[in-house]
Amino acid sequence: MTDGSSYEKYKDLAEWMVSFARSSGADEIEVAVISGNEFSVDVRNGNIENLVEAGSRHIGFRLRKDQKTASASSSDLEKDILKQLVLNALERAQIASRDLYAGLPERIKPPLDAESLLLFDPCINEMDSKKKIDLAIKTEKIALLDNRITNSHGAGFETREVHTTMANSNGFLQQYKETFCSLGAGLQAGDTDHIVEDSWSCTKRFLHEIESPETVAKKAVFRTIRQLNPRKIKTQNVPVIFEPRMTSWLMGFLFSCVSGAAIYQKTSFLAGRLGERIGNPFITVMDDGTMPGRLGTTPFDAEGIPSQRTVVMEKGILKNYLCNTYAAKKLKLESTGNADSGGIGPTNFYLQNGTSPPNNIIASMEKGLILTRIIGHGLNPVNGDISRGAFGLWVEDGQVIYPVSEIAISGNLGSILNNIEMVGNDLEFRSSVCGPTVKVGEMTIAGESN
Amino acid sequence: MIRIKSSIFENHFNISDNEFKKILNTALSLGGDFSEIYLEYRMHNSIIMEEDIIKETSESISLGMGIRVISGDKTGYGYTNDLSLEKIRKTALTAASISSGKITQKALSINPAYPEKNLYPVIRHGRDTSLDDKIDLVKKAYSAAIDFDPSIQKVKVSFSDLTQHVGLINSDGLKISDIRPMIKMVCLAIAEKPPDLEAGFSGGGGRVGIEYFQHSLTPEEIGHEAATEALQLLEAKPPPAGEMPVVLSPGHSGVFIHEAVGHLLEADFIRKKTSVFWNKQGKKVAHEKVTILDDPTIPFFRGSYNVDDEGTLPHKTTLIKDGKLVGFLQDRLSAGLMDLPLTGHGRRQDYSCIPIPRMSNTYIDKGDHDRDEIIKSVNRGFYAHRFQGGQVEDSGKFTFSVSSGFLIEGGKLTTPVKQATLIGSNLDILNKIEMIGSDLEFSLQTGTCGKGGQETPVTDGCPTLKISSMTVGGIK
Repeated sequence: MTDGSSYEKYKDLAEWMVSFARSSGADEIEVAVISGNEFSVDVRNGNIENLVEAGSRHIGFRLRKDQKTASASSSDLEKDILKQLVLNALERAQIASRDLYAGLPERIKPPLDAESLLLFDPCINEMDSKKKIDLAIKTEKIALLDNRITNSHGAGFETREVHTTMANSNGFLQQYKETFCSLGAGLQAGDTDHIVEDSWSCTKRFLHEIESPETVAKKAVFRTIRQLNPRKIKTQNVPVIFEPRMTSWLMGFLFSCVSGAAIYQKTSFLAGRLGERIGNPFITVMDDGTMPGRLGTTPFDAEGIPSQRTVVMEKGILKNYLCNTYAAKKLKLESTGNADSGGIGPTNFYLQNGTSPPNNIIASMEKGLILTRIIGHGLNPVNGDISRGAFGLWVEDGQVIYPVSEIAISGNLGSILNNIEMVGNDLEFRSSVCGPTVKVGEMTIAGESN
Repeated sequence: MIRIKSSIFENHFNISDNEFKKILNTALSLGGDFSEIYLEYRMHNSIIMEEDIIKETSESISLGMGIRVISGDKTGYGYTNDLSLEKIRKTALTAASISSGKITQKALSINPAYPEKNLYPVIRHGRDTSLDDKIDLVKKAYSAAIDFDPSIQKVKVSFSDLTQHVGLINSDGLKISDIRPMIKMVCLAIAEKPPDLEAGFSGGGGRVGIEYFQHSLTPEEIGHEAATEALQLLEAKPPPAGEMPVVLSPGHSGVFIHEAVGHLLEADFIRKKTSVFWNKQGKKVAHEKVTILDDPTIPFFRGSYNVDDEGTLPHKTTLIKDGKLVGFLQDRLSAGLMDLPLTGHGRRQDYSCIPIPRMSNTYIDKGDHDRDEIIKSVNRGFYAHRFQGGQVEDSGKFTFSVSSGFLIEGGKLTTPVKQATLIGSNLDILNKIEMIGSDLEFSLQTGTCGKGGQETPVTDGCPTLKISSMTVGGIK
């Protein structure tokens, strides 16, 4: 729904906004116009449940006067409204406090070439709605062929096209387009009073990379039925293997602890520890926004800084915090190109592959838990504490012997990083924050009383 | 009946009733049973204070329209924030395409309807209050926290006010609107006693005016509460691990009812038979002392609304009565398919979302035990005081995260404890609620619930509860 002409138009709009704000008295301003369209279909028990198709756009800006900041956003792109928002922001800026650290990036480096980053698949927009619906229907149908599956949350296929236009008063003006598509299914097995459930989904930028309905269905079925007839276990301390999806949340938590905002605010247990050993020598963590075709790749961040490859942890040593311009100034560091609309975000943030095949990791475990799913909150970046509800598979003598549920795992990110004993070789970039299978030496599993 | 003087229809969408009717008919042109237009205009202002300065203020405006067509159990949906008639017609045709036959229904003539009462009789709206006055509140909360104790190293306060105008017109001829105010002020305080750092949190608000901060909860109280929690956590020990009796504090523990019961009584999960409760209507599912309700009509509460996001007038709904399952939370689609009355629980995050059954203000009704009597009855157990949130899946397995609590030893609260996860299976735990306090309270007016990617404001509440045995995730 966002055609080529409006894409060009937004470049003009962003430029107009910069010059209007400057001529109205702003010392500096950055503007972003985000536009795009989405399609999504949910099917359940063979029929379409929901079909959504839409286009939308909004503009957001942040301006400064005398080092005082105000920001605004609007989905109404009428120039009269936008003018009023700029004038309101100038007025609000006067009331805000002077902040010596606030400001646009000083130097404008050229962004990466969006085309060679492989972010946009023209096939997605050209794909016929019927084909999209059929993909979802086929996925669910295959999953339901397995007679152990008793109910379906449905299958879905979704596509999204996003256009980003950015300008600032230092002369930055750039645009890029990107696409995403995703196929997934959620299933239940077991009778009503003993339901188990899980899901599988695959998200990519290019249509041809999406897993087939057969693969998505097979993985969703496998993940669901392996939980049938779970047992409770006694409270104990044992080694825990994190499946890649679980390593992803662990990495997400690590990201929030190395984010420059948490560091300068001292709300992370990793503040002030740059250069220190914080983990085992075989742990290397990267943030790399330059990897072609990956979900977290961008030519430039929300401040127009080109994406880069940053070593976060190298062989256990904390090497870099991830910063936008503001956090970098606060910490006397350089921006790492991690600005996002809300502050600081990951690009492709991942734990580097190790050498162990996942099967060898399982075989190495005498007695312990494979963590397959977690629910709930319970992450505290201030001290690194972790406490979450969990599901998993119980392992004895290197063999999975039964599923377990109604347990809670507890630990601390600081000690986990020092206790990772094995790193798998199965890293796949299924999400922008990810990692391979890992084995952690010991965590507390709370279950039944001893 | 109240009449809102200037509604969203006149002020922000300059579209005549005749034109609306045409759009509804376009949406029905391929054979849908029902069509609906949802209009939303949102104004949001926020202030952030940290590191002793007002760092940033922001203003945002969002304006958009969602068009829905229901055909049997299928929903077609389109939305746009480009409000040209041409784009709107195209959006109506997108929604229409869920059906692919001939026209069977025509939109009835439009009759304006009005909410029965105004649940948010605000005196001084956030949007009408000067930025200076709002900053003054923020600074008061900030100072109260940072000056509370030398160990408080860092404070962050954020304030936001939101005005959401919604309007609905549907093919049954309904036309109704609502203007929903919302204020939220939260404070985070970090206390340090090297090498330990701990965070405390507090806040308040609701569908209230600025006067709330004089009469109901002062900024000073918010700051003090956040600082107090942070300091208390500095002294806290890791929790015990294993099964034990658990006492849940009044108010804050409402998240337990929200997760363990509320979600699984949302009618979409019942109709699809994915909820563990789907075949248990009229059956005993909890201890006979347990009564659970959801009430969207509590004045000034965060989860309240004069009209739901499908145009239905909301009412208080009993979910569990004396341990028996008696009701579900309905939206239009599920109520129609289940042939049950509407309850007014069809909600959506914004115009880009399809309405689904949601909770509003959910609570467990008070019992007859004194709080002290409940604690005294536990020889060795866990007292859950404050929470970070929770999650449930359709199987009834749920978890909620305790940010601070106490050990109970010999019938008394003793050592403070931090960061524990409670986990259980709802049918099991509901039958283990042994004692219910007479002290019903509601949680902080800051809660947001996520479902299917949509976030909506909610409140929950409960009196002191004793659960005879529950798994506490801690350190062994």
